[in-house]
Amino acid sequence: MAQQEIDYKELSNGYEFTPVDFQPDDKMVTAYLSAIEGDKRIYGENKLVPPMAVAALAMASMAEAISLPPGTIHVSQEFQFLGTVSINESLTSYARVNRKIERGKFHMLTIEINVTNQNNAKVITGETSFILPLA
Amino acid sequence: MAIDLNGLSIDTSFPELRRQVTQEHVNLYAEASKDFNPIHIDPEFARQAGLDGTIAHGMLILAYVSEFMTSSFGQSWLTGGNLIARFKTPARPGDTITVSGKVTGLQRGNGTLLVDCDILCQNQRDEPVIICETKVRVKTDEDSS
Repeated sequence: MAQQEIDYKELSNGYEFTPVDFQPDDKMVTAYLSAIEGDKRIYGENKLVPPMAVAALAMASMAEAISLPPGTIHVSQEFQFLGTVSINESLTSYARVNRKIERGKFHMLTIEINVTNQNNAKVITGETSFILPLA
Repeated sequence: MAIDLNGLSIDTSFPELRRQVTQEHVNLYAEASKDFNPIHIDPEFARQAGLDGTIAHGMLILAYVSEFMTSSFGQSWLTGGNLIARFKTPARPGDTITVSGKVTGLQRGNGTLLVDCDILCQNQRDEPVIICETKVRVKTDEDSS
């Protein structure tokens, strides 16, 4: 999932990150369900990936692409789940800066995230917001 | 689905979900989510950052909310769930998180029921960790005409 990291100071409204391809596998889902003590029966019968696991991987690919300063706080998160994802499906995560606002000694950064499957259908859409200290 | 849709009304509450956060869970979550920020997994780094120790990923605690909704609404949550969450206080290994929720809105029509809920994740000191609003559209058996 590696991609070139950009300093958050260089981000501006509308900036689009390089799309990232990923594939949630059985090992990832097992570790995820163990971490959250999730109900394996709900997903296991149909080999489904929990939607928040897909969201977590999309968030990780976005976080890998930005250099955030110490003191950054993840303040809010929105997600809409639009379709189920099966294990080993090929997904692509898209991220875009929706808002970057200076407020006193802080920046408010809001990033839109969309995840599509191999049929180009959206499976998750969301928005994540951070407060960052001004350097 | 664990709930009886016909029995839902405003202020109906759902069975609570309780999870103890451990460093082992946080490490497993880091591995699964590929989020290896040392503030979650390295106690020394966390102390140097001014914390008492590591903190759990906010998304780990938010995953409890999704599990809570999945246990109540099943497939409907997985294919049509919607959440807006605000992170209030970090959770730490050793914390016990309780997820509770109640219905705040119901809209019936076209063979579906749109359920709005307020969800709260609290730690053992009753401090809010995450405050969340959710929406889920559930198919009903009623005639859509």
